[in-house]
Amino acid sequence: MDAVVIPIHFRLNGENRQAEVRTHELLIDFIRDRLDLTGTKRSCDIEICGACTVILDGKAVSSCSIFAYELDGKELTTIEGLAQGDKLHPLQEAFIERGGFQCGFCTSGMILLAKTLLDQKPNPTRKEIQHYMDANICRCTGYQMILESIMLAAEKMTGKPA
Amino acid sequence: MSTTIGKHVERFDAREKVTGKSVYTGDIKLPGMLHGKVLRSYLPHARIRRVDVEDAVAMPGVVAALTRDRLPIASPYYGSFVKDQPVVALDKVHYAGEIVAAVAAEDEAIAEEALKRISIEYEELPAVITIEDALNKDAPLVHERLEKKPAVFGRGMKSIEHDGSNIYFHVQYERGDVEDGFRSADFIFEDSFFSAANQQYPLESQIAIVDFNGEDFTIWSATQSPFRIRDEIAGLFKVDSKRVRVVIPYLGGGFGAKSVIGAEAVAATLSYMSKRPVRVAFSADEMFKTICQPAAKMIIKTGVKRDGTIVARRSEIYLNSGAYSNSVSSIATKSCYRAHGPYRIPNVTTDAYAIYSNTVPAGAFRGFGGHQTAFAIESHTDMLAHRLRVDPVEFRLKNLLEKGEEYAAEDTPIDCDVKDLLRQLSRAIGWTPEDRKPQQTTTKRTKGVACVVKDGGGTKKEANAIVKVQADGRIVLICGTVEIGQGSSTALSQVVAEQFSCPAEMVEFATIDTAYTPYDTATNATSGVFTMGRAVLQAAQDARDRMLSIAAMALDTSELSLENGKIVCRGKAFNFQEVLHGTEIVGTGECKFDRNEQIPIGYPTPFWEIGLGAAEIEIDEMTGDIRILKFRSITDVGRIINPLHCRGQEEGGILFGIGQTLLEELVYEDGRLINPNLTDYRLPRFRDLPDSLVSVIHEEEEIVGSYQPKGSGESGILAVSAAVCNAIYNCTGIRMLDLPVKRENVWKAMHSIRE
Repeated sequence: MDAVVIPIHFRLNGENRQAEVRTHELLIDFIRDRLDLTGTKRSCDIEICGACTVILDGKAVSSCSIFAYELDGKELTTIEGLAQGDKLHPLQEAFIERGGFQCGFCTSGMILLAKTLLDQKPNPTRKEIQHYMDANICRCTGYQMILESIMLAAEKMTGKPA
Repeated sequence: MSTTIGKHVERFDAREKVTGKSVYTGDIKLPGMLHGKVLRSYLPHARIRRVDVEDAVAMPGVVAALTRDRLPIASPYYGSFVKDQPVVALDKVHYAGEIVAAVAAEDEAIAEEALKRISIEYEELPAVITIEDALNKDAPLVHERLEKKPAVFGRGMKSIEHDGSNIYFHVQYERGDVEDGFRSADFIFEDSFFSAANQQYPLESQIAIVDFNGEDFTIWSATQSPFRIRDEIAGLFKVDSKRVRVVIPYLGGGFGAKSVIGAEAVAATLSYMSKRPVRVAFSADEMFKTICQPAAKMIIKTGVKRDGTIVARRSEIYLNSGAYSNSVSSIATKSCYRAHGPYRIPNVTTDAYAIYSNTVPAGAFRGFGGHQTAFAIESHTDMLAHRLRVDPVEFRLKNLLEKGEEYAAEDTPIDCDVKDLLRQLSRAIGWTPEDRKPQQTTTKRTKGVACVVKDGGGTKKEANAIVKVQADGRIVLICGTVEIGQGSSTALSQVVAEQFSCPAEMVEFATIDTAYTPYDTATNATSGVFTMGRAVLQAAQDARDRMLSIAAMALDTSELSLENGKIVCRGKAFNFQEVLHGTEIVGTGECKFDRNEQIPIGYPTPFWEIGLGAAEIEIDEMTGDIRILKFRSITDVGRIINPLHCRGQEEGGILFGIGQTLLEELVYEDGRLINPNLTDYRLPRFRDLPDSLVSVIHEEEEIVGSYQPKGSGESGILAVSAAVCNAIYNCTGIRMLDLPVKRENVWKAMHSIRE
């Protein structure tokens, strides 16, 4: 099972990086094992739960279900890239203030998915959030507190109540 | 004097969790760590003729292989009730999904490849899947030999042994004379209910890393029960428990799925064989094949007087335990004790059975049987009211136990005014007789209520805590309550902070390590803030008092007070370290419950978990679709420690309940679980969040003791299924007796009624 190795160039959380990846290497394994960024979580492994969500060229994707070589030439954002030093992203602040997580296992994915929503639509309605965030699963919070966290983040980022 | 109790304190794990820095077991890498993978049986019941791992072992990179023939451990069985579950299948496999072999290899890919080279020869045996299959007179026995373990209860409760049966545990509770009771009744009604097996599905599956260095085992594990894991592993290898050390990183949820051995036993054995650290991470598919909530059948017969007084109840509860006993015997005991519900019923007989079958082993699940019994009892209660042509709320009010009234003789009296909460709920939703009239429109919309009381806090739980004030002035809390997401590390630190009149951030919650952490039974049964809370309170008071007496000597006065994390004396404030002069203070606390033979279960109920709920639903007659438009719950937590996190517990519980009511069901075909993945097993998602979800958290005035917080993790889930099913009946006249309520069944029922 000798694997073909492919060189890739990509941006990781704002920095230029290069690596060699095997053709069958999954993005989640590359992120967790090779980049040592363990904030990206593995759960269902079949693109249903969204715990492994990362942002690739502005789009939320399940890193369990795409190959690492698909990173080539793209910009990857993981949860580790969201805060600016000690300064949390408004979504991170809002998740803390509104109780948008408990065990934390879905949190990286939830926050990144929410970021792609707010990037496209800075002031979403409750219904729009519910519809968009339906892609990811949380087993702890009951969702409402995540929804409220996102509304608060939108408010923080736009200065307008959601 | 409250400084932090009842106030919002940011979770201790908040920054780590929102930045991805929190370390879970799966994020740990040890030098030289091997990866263990497990081969599982595809047959539900079979004798193993031969297991051949030679080809697998010969693969480069494979370091150890574990089978029944290569099992270097002293005693291969574990289990929390009887030790009936082996680390790998021995003579038989008892369910499709059982571990038959395992390998440890240099990487996961090699380990997976090695599994494909293992060959196993089976002799297939007839299997029993359902409760009915297992109880059939000629049913094959899942286990030929039953290990007997007499259960010790108190007055009115006893266990009954069955020979040559799949019933391995049978408990009976009796009070009054149920036959006399039925004779005095004007009406007798009997109903039968079924709840499907469900999967806990914490997002993080069972995972363990075990490092055996030739002497000692060090285990990093996602477990809710660090000390149980320590003792089980020590038992398997027949070593002293001090040679097993369990360290707990963050957990990605639990909900009962991590209460007993998961990946630990295989990882420990592979590490023992290879003398290297071994990581075993179960996949989602494997989690489905490791544990589940037991499917439950409940038959309730109730005798009532014409005026609505309940006089007698006879109940039978059958729990499908799957291939192993696990904790289902305890679930049976609890279900047995709950069958009469929060109502005043003088004559009661209840039998509860834990039954082996060739399915995935069942065990603890958020609510510990509370949800299944609540669904049955509270559906039945509504059915009684409708048959008597009285309002279901009024019928409940007539029969509900009062605050202070005994649930059973000698047990803790009911600690909440449930009737008042029911009145509040019914007012809040604007409950009227119109709400229970069948509707002729295509889209029907109405409400339903349910009212549940369940014994909370577990049985005979034991908790110990240490609070240290270090010479540098830092306060450290050392206790075994696992942070599974419920916020216990923050809440318990608030309990400490309260005693020191300091901000909660001054308290540090120590990592759980069974080598240093004092003993705790387990993190389960919503006992964290109650049982451990009391131990922590005592430890904090002890440490505070010791510190103050040292301060009194140092400052030569007993006129001291604590304010904002400082010792104040004659208008001057001192940091703790200024008066401790290099001394370290250690305070200890414990909470135990004494045996009381007069109480049916044998130990007092720590507190009563109260969960009321009202659902407003909409049903589309054309499709059978049910939407929960509004859900309102009232739960009693005694006293709120952290309002935001408390609400999170309740709302999380409600969505769990919605999943069990409308969506979740483990499905077997030809003896195999056919939906062990999130495509085919539908968990609640954002779309299932009702348009209006309100969780009212009630703080009942105390009636016992001075420490008031009660557990809150399971109350929100309790009322959901019955409230929804009662609403379905109210607008359609159709009674859904099986969970989950599938829309095709609703559709069929509505259309057959028409015909």
